[in-house]
Amino acid sequence: MIKLRRLERRYSLGKEKFFYVLRDINLDIAEGEFVSVMGPSGAGKSTLLHILGMHDHGWQGEYSLNDTAIHHLKPKERATLRNEQIGFVFQQYHLLDDLTVYENLEIPLSYRHYSKSERAALVADTLDRFQIVGKKDLYPRQLSGGQQQLVGVARAIIAEPKLLLADEPTGNLHSSQGEEIMELFRKLNDEGMTIVQVTHSDKSASYGKRVIQLRDGWIVNE
Amino acid sequence: MLKDIRFSLRQLIKQPAFTIIAVLTVALAIGATTAVLSLVNGLLVRPLPYPDSQRLVLLLQHFKSQNLERIPVSPPEFKDYETRSHSFEKLGAFGYTSFNLAAEDRPERIAGATVTSGVLPLLGVSPIKGRFFAPEECMLGRDDVVIISARLWQHRFDSDPQIIGRKLLLNGKSFTVVGVMPANFDFPLQLFNLGSGGQFGGRAEIWKPLAFTDDQMKARYNRSFWIVGRLAPGISAAQAQAEIETINAQMRREHTDNYSQDNSFGGDVFLLQNLAAAGMRPALLILLGAVFLVVLIACANLTTMLLARAAAREREIAIRVALGAGRLRLLKQVFTESVLLSLIGGAAGVLLALWGVELLKTIGAQTVPRLREVNLDLVVLGVTLAICVGTGIIFGLAPGLASSRPELTEALKEGSRGSTVGKRRNRLRNGLVIAEVALALVLLSGAGLLIKSFARLQNVNPGFNPRNALTFEISLPKMQYPDDSSIVRFNDEARRRIAALPGVQAAGFSTILPLAGTNSDSSFAIEGRASDKNTPSPDEELREVSPDYFRALGTPLIKGRFFTAGDKADAPPVIIINQAFAKKFWPNEDALGKRIVMGGMSDNPKWITIVGIVGDMRHFGLDIDPKPEMYVPFAQSAYSTAIYVVRSNQDAQVLLAAIRREIQAIDPAVPLANVRSFENLIADSVAPRRLSVVLLGVFAGVAVLLAGVGIYGVMSFLVVQRTHELGVRMALGAQRGDVLKLVLIRSLKLISAGTIIGLIIAVMSTHTLRAMLYSVSAFDVVTFVLVTVLLGGIALAASFLPAMRATRADPMVVLTAE
Repeated sequence: MIKLRRLERRYSLGKEKFFYVLRDINLDIAEGEFVSVMGPSGAGKSTLLHILGMHDHGWQGEYSLNDTAIHHLKPKERATLRNEQIGFVFQQYHLLDDLTVYENLEIPLSYRHYSKSERAALVADTLDRFQIVGKKDLYPRQLSGGQQQLVGVARAIIAEPKLLLADEPTGNLHSSQGEEIMELFRKLNDEGMTIVQVTHSDKSASYGKRVIQLRDGWIVNE
Repeated sequence: MLKDIRFSLRQLIKQPAFTIIAVLTVALAIGATTAVLSLVNGLLVRPLPYPDSQRLVLLLQHFKSQNLERIPVSPPEFKDYETRSHSFEKLGAFGYTSFNLAAEDRPERIAGATVTSGVLPLLGVSPIKGRFFAPEECMLGRDDVVIISARLWQHRFDSDPQIIGRKLLLNGKSFTVVGVMPANFDFPLQLFNLGSGGQFGGRAEIWKPLAFTDDQMKARYNRSFWIVGRLAPGISAAQAQAEIETINAQMRREHTDNYSQDNSFGGDVFLLQNLAAAGMRPALLILLGAVFLVVLIACANLTTMLLARAAAREREIAIRVALGAGRLRLLKQVFTESVLLSLIGGAAGVLLALWGVELLKTIGAQTVPRLREVNLDLVVLGVTLAICVGTGIIFGLAPGLASSRPELTEALKEGSRGSTVGKRRNRLRNGLVIAEVALALVLLSGAGLLIKSFARLQNVNPGFNPRNALTFEISLPKMQYPDDSSIVRFNDEARRRIAALPGVQAAGFSTILPLAGTNSDSSFAIEGRASDKNTPSPDEELREVSPDYFRALGTPLIKGRFFTAGDKADAPPVIIINQAFAKKFWPNEDALGKRIVMGGMSDNPKWITIVGIVGDMRHFGLDIDPKPEMYVPFAQSAYSTAIYVVRSNQDAQVLLAAIRREIQAIDPAVPLANVRSFENLIADSVAPRRLSVVLLGVFAGVAVLLAGVGIYGVMSFLVVQRTHELGVRMALGAQRGDVLKLVLIRSLKLISAGTIIGLIIAVMSTHTLRAMLYSVSAFDVVTFVLVTVLLGGIALAASFLPAMRATRADPMVVLTAE
């Protein structure tokens, strides 16, 4: 599903000097895999995730997603592909403060040209699936951290992406809430969703089927 | 305090872009306000330039049944008022005139007035040299004395210390100078705009005694003098009015031949100050309202700017509070800064106003009464200072309160966002933008209506062709041209010579020009129509014109013929009327060939035959429908002053030197006066209206500019504030177009709310403009739609830049920032 070849991410330090965040990344992730990317702070984990999520365009090398050569796509084409295939979960949840749970779930659909009735049906299904129907009219500040992340995951998968990217999804949660989210991830993976998560937690990583270790921008161990 | 000022100055210098925009905003608002305050002060508030001018009145007459209002009085009527009234300390009569002042190089035409001996003393201004007229000098044969203005004394006589007693050759006759009035003395004021003064009448520089002839003293119908008076101490204008009505009733009883016995005839006492202000009062009050709106918009703008700054400095202020700063101390700091901004902007605004007032004077000094007296005096500066301090406090209020109540825990927490206080302030900001758009729309609607009205007025067909037409006056002195035949001979010869000049298509003259502010009328009777003493004779406008006058004006002949050289004094009397006249008096008949007699019917009437019907002309103003007019041949009713119209196939101004040569060839002592193009004449006739249009247009422009800056500022602030949200949305799949739409829709909501409120206020308030509108409804839908689209477009454009900036939000930067 994902194929990275000689992928690099660097920042210029002036006069042909560069600071490398990612170096010579060669990576294959098959459909249905649950991969955990680990490593110390500054290793390049989040950068790798944002490159996979096509938020970051300043990289060199080759990146193919389901046989589409991303490196040949224009930003707008990448955005379209991202909307079709990728969902994102953040450590800070990044729910929109002024929108209710219902409205937060609706956002990704509104950017994917679903009709109003389709949106209503999908949001209702998702609320039901995640058992948060009773919270649909609440605002994020009225939810606990775990509940907010639950909404965050629900929002990431509502448009039925093939690939779910999660940046330290349990980083801000206490252990029981974290376990709940990871169980949810496992369930999604069992249903066929490919998941790539960045985590510091061995326990969270253990929910995955494969661990990639990054250090100073290099893949050091798989 | 000094410390606060120093700190505020440092803050302002630290953010030059903010300071420049804020100062410019205040400068525009204060500049507009100061300019209008100067106008209001100069034209409405400031007393006329005579001591105790509140007691000065003008006494005019009316004949309501003939639609004649504010007309002058006859000499016997003046004497009746003067001898019988007790409400006045003094009454005096005056008339407009002009003099040909002989000089070695070229004769000069000087505007002047004839005054009875009481006029100048009652005004309360003494001569700087010499004396007033003695009563006996207002008698025929002893009236060969003049008083001149210091302006004339300085520029024509080089401030000759021996001026008193010096002889001047005026209209070919010798006069002795007995006094010099101060340089700033002005009488009659342009504001009177009555009779033969009008727009052609410059400032009077020579005053001559008014001595009535025996014939004049018998003719109650010959109304050509104006009465000025000073109310007696303790007497009000209403009391004087009551007394005048009593005297009028006496006159009606005593002279039954001259006055109808209904209430048609009467006299009106006008306070001079009110009469002076009357013309411009509605326009000035509207302009005052307009600048008030501009100031409100500026305040709204500055409030939003300062609120944004307060938000940016929230942490700094929270730290100050945490360190022990009191609320009052913080408020003082914010107010110091806002008032300082206001004062700096105000100073720049006063400079703008100084320039603006000078500009206005050049636009309208010749045509707007008292405009040349307008200046920025201490009163205006004092009010401006108060407004500056007031606006500084107003726009500092919300940011001051916001700063003095910081949410400590929120503000001190790193990366905090989305507090309730923030939402409250956003609501305030949104409210201010809505208010700005609404106020700007109100101003723009008003300006739009006035501009449309003015454009319609400019396109009105005046009934003549003003292009390539030159006009000037020739006034013949009585000594050299004592009778009608000599006057007609001179003017016939002048017209013949001018018409023969290369490039001249037609040349003619008249006693009165359309749109020049002068007028004359006459009553008449129609052959075959019964009249009795109790029914007033019809009275319509009357002009004396030469052959080719209509050709020179470009006024079409509808029927019959124009006057010819054959219509001489001894030829059968003939008359030309306009279409309005024909329609009014012969609605279903052919007027051609009908006969009328001037004045009332007599036993031996001198019938005048209608030989032509010409197109209607707008005489009183482009906005006033043509009235019935009569034209008689100049040769059959000559006057010493003729106003020429010369039409050429090129710019008529280039003919001026040749025309002057031809006139001097006939009589070197006769000057050309009031030379101007007909286009200028028309422009001057709409000058007060143009002044209002220009001012309201400028204010509306300033309002739209400020509203645009305000919207830009608020949307920019909003985008910065929502960077995180926009980043998240982009991470969740929003494309640039989605973000652009999001910001623009937010902006559109504010603009729409402002527009709806503005339209409601505009519809409710534009009726105040009704008196200033011509051929445009105060609820003109097209104008409302156009100004709404214009303002909406500008407001959206102002939102577009911040919206574009929003689309550049990098989700990665936003999402990894925490």
